[in-house]
Amino acid sequence: MTQLVLDIAAIACLALGLFFMLVGAVGVVRLPDVYHRLHAASKCSTLGLLGLVLAAMLHVGTLTVITKSIAVIAFAFVAVPVGSHMLAKAAHRDKARPWKGTLSDELADCEDEGACNVS
Amino acid sequence: MTPDLAPILIAAADHGNSAAVEQAPSAAEPWLMLSVQVGVGLLVLSILLCLWRMIRGPHLADRVLAGDTMAMLVAGLVIVLAIKLDSALFYDAAIVVSVLGFASTVAFAQYIGARQKASDDPLTAELENQPGLIATPDELERRAGK
Repeated sequence: MTQLVLDIAAIACLALGLFFMLVGAVGVVRLPDVYHRLHAASKCSTLGLLGLVLAAMLHVGTLTVITKSIAVIAFAFVAVPVGSHMLAKAAHRDKARPWKGTLSDELADCEDEGACNVS
Repeated sequence: MTPDLAPILIAAADHGNSAAVEQAPSAAEPWLMLSVQVGVGLLVLSILLCLWRMIRGPHLADRVLAGDTMAMLVAGLVIVLAIKLDSALFYDAAIVVSVLGFASTVAFAQYIGARQKASDDPLTAELENQPGLIATPDELERRAGK
C-alpha cells in the first residue's frame, strides 16, 4: 500500500520533471536571442532535474539513493544558475546583440563593467 | 575489529541493495515503467532539439548553452534509467555528468568573455547574430540615445 502511494507520487514527479525538461529544450530552440535561451535552459533544466531526482528517490527509497539525490539536487541548484549567469555576462561582454523587442540594457553604456553599479 | 562484528557490518553495508529487492512491486509499477519508457523518448527528443541549437548557433554562447542543457538532460536520462533498473549505482554517473557540464560551461564562459577581438570584427559579429529577430546596430544606437 505504501509502495503504491510512493509509486504514484513518483509518476507525478517524473511527469513534472519531463514536462520541464521538454519545455526547456523547446525554449532553447524557439526563443529569439542568447539571453532568452539562457533563461529557458537554466530554469527548466534545474526544475526538470529536481523532478526526475525526486521520482527516483520516491521509487527506490534506500538510504544511499536518498543521500545521493540530495547531493545531486544541491549541486544542480547551485551550479546551473551560476553557470548561466557567467555565460550571460560573457555573452554580453562579447557584444551578443539582444532581441529587437528588448526594452532596456543597463550594462550597455559602461565599457568597464566593474565601474557600473549594476549587479 | 572483533570477528563477531563482521556479519553485522556486512549486512549493514549490503542493506542498501537488499531492501529494494525484498519489497513486492506495487500495482502502479507497470505504469511507472511505461512512464519511464515515455520519459526516455522525451529526453532523447529534448537532446536532439538541443543538438539542433548547437549545430545552428548562431552565437558561440548559443552552442555552449545547448551543451550545458544537454549535460543536464543526460544526467536526467541516467536518473530515469536508475528508476528503471532500481539501482543506486547510476547516481554517480549523474553527478559526474552534471559536474562536467558545469565545468565546461564555466571554461567556455571565460573564453567567450575574453575574446574581445573576435566580436569587434564586423564579419564575425554579423555571422553570430541572427538577422530578423536580433536588433541591428542602428536600433541599438537609437535605443541608447532615447
